[in-house]
Amino acid sequence: MLVALITGLATGALYAAAALTYNVMFSTSKVLSVTTGHISMLGGIFGAWFISTLGWPIPIALLGSMVVGAAFGFLTDLIAIRRVLARSDEHLWLLSTLALATMVQQATGLWWGTEPKPFPRLIPQDFSAGLADQKYWLPIAIAILLAVALELFYRRTLYGKLFVAMSEDPFAARARGIPTGRIRAMSYVIAGAMGGLAGFAAGQLTFAYFALGLTLTLNGFIALAVGGLGSNVGALVGGAALGILSAVATYFVGGEYQQTISVGLLMIVLLLRPAGLFGSQTVRPV
Amino acid sequence: MKLPNRTFALFIVTAALATLPWWAGDLYKLHLAALICAYWVLIGGLNLVVGYSGQLSIGHVGLLAIGAYCFAILAGTHDVHPAFAIVASGALCALCGLLLGLPSLRLPGFYFAMATLAFALIVTEITLAQGTLTGGGVGLSVPGFPPPFDTPRGSYWLILTLAALVTWLTWNVARHTWGRALVAVRDSAVTAQAVGVPVFRAKLTVFVFSGFTAGVAGALFAVLQSYITPDTFVFDLGLFFFVCIIIGGRGHILGPAVGTIVLTALPEMVAPLAKLGNFFYGLLLLAVVLLVPEGIGRVFELLLQRLRSRRESHVVKPDLDRLAKAIEHGRSAR
Repeated sequence: MLVALITGLATGALYAAAALTYNVMFSTSKVLSVTTGHISMLGGIFGAWFISTLGWPIPIALLGSMVVGAAFGFLTDLIAIRRVLARSDEHLWLLSTLALATMVQQATGLWWGTEPKPFPRLIPQDFSAGLADQKYWLPIAIAILLAVALELFYRRTLYGKLFVAMSEDPFAARARGIPTGRIRAMSYVIAGAMGGLAGFAAGQLTFAYFALGLTLTLNGFIALAVGGLGSNVGALVGGAALGILSAVATYFVGGEYQQTISVGLLMIVLLLRPAGLFGSQTVRPV
Repeated sequence: MKLPNRTFALFIVTAALATLPWWAGDLYKLHLAALICAYWVLIGGLNLVVGYSGQLSIGHVGLLAIGAYCFAILAGTHDVHPAFAIVASGALCALCGLLLGLPSLRLPGFYFAMATLAFALIVTEITLAQGTLTGGGVGLSVPGFPPPFDTPRGSYWLILTLAALVTWLTWNVARHTWGRALVAVRDSAVTAQAVGVPVFRAKLTVFVFSGFTAGVAGALFAVLQSYITPDTFVFDLGLFFFVCIIIGGRGHILGPAVGTIVLTALPEMVAPLAKLGNFFYGLLLLAVVLLVPEGIGRVFELLLQRLRSRRESHVVKPDLDRLAKAIEHGRSAR
């Protein structure tokens, strides 16, 4: 039972990190990108490739993963967001990010192979550590670190305040002279680096697997919707709740119905509180 | 002038499709044509949901799987007559569509897409878990159609007839009040509501209809595959249906039909594309979204318009005589 709880918390931390990545991109562009999970997938796979195949030292590989993630985030903005946001069709960004996510997933599958490959040990530790194993606490620590860093960034720095201003009212922000396009690109780069870091830290839990992206996109979104869109605390709580619930359900019912249970959680929360646990109520579009 | 042309084209296409078994060459091409028709039965229904009412469902492969399994279980395990089994799969999928649509159609765009994606994953999960019913990962073998349709030609004609029927149904829906209402819902839900379109009921009705066609398509697809496992119904297939419609153009019927034919046939004809698989679909989708968001159908429409407008001249020629007379008249009056 304790193992189930810890595993659930660790998986939930990864979902929470994906939800935080969603949040950063959503704050400046009001876009929920389908590529969110694929950023972390790339972080994990490139991390494994840097360390195992190229033999890079771990800190450099960590940096490399974050750079790959950031580059992919920038590319997402450049290819799939920038041109599409200029048009006023609200569904187009969903299609363009879906297309990009599909391409990246397939390309990674062709290059890396469709089998999950093991992720190397990051910190020297005996495999008999049990529940104190790094594969559990690394993702949890990273998710909390990311949430705290984001809060500090939003509250203490000028750029963070620009993000908040853009998320509240992009037109007013632009009228005050904020270069909205550049800030949006920056938010995608930051989100990419965050996703890459999370994927790298959770690599030992998830393995370096090309199909992780879509699962993470879906579950990260469920965590986000449960916690409340735009709220970082909500992302953490939603991720943890989702992870623990599906792990406990697996413990009692068996692993076959994991997806059904997590979607059931989403539906219940959306029915009771459409804005999520920590989200703000949205105004009707009239 | 316009109408006989169209009737003529329709006649040619119908004749070509009906006589396809004689000029298609080998049996594999005939099988491919039957597969395209089976896909079209689903895509035709989905087109009303995605193309007309603008609800981006990427998880219709889940309904396809339910239809296929329902047919395989009823006709295979319980020896029900296949004609009845096809209708039963359609009805079951319509019910599943209703159950899926009731909560999820209330959600905004991205939420709805994610809900349908989750639905497809859930169906895969359940088919794997309920091993006694669906054969689990091992799969089920599917019986063929009864005698008049048990040859490749017979089954092709049956599936072609059903595809034509679906096309006719969706065309009728699309060009009358319902279709206009759906387009209004797609373009602006608030405006549609303001002019008295029952937004949720309209969306739910076409979604249930698309569920029915997906179930029928699932049954036909299962017969064509002759053996189904959960791996037959990967998520990529759902994405493929979706991409066919978007590439063909939203709010058209011909565009998605051409999209279905081209996207199914192209990877079979050009070997390197089959290896790339999803990458190719993703690239195509991205190119269409960035360059022509209205779809390829719109491009043809614009080209046609340009060709037609070239015939009639819009140059304004001043009638100088009349002008001179008018000026003269004005002067003399003063």
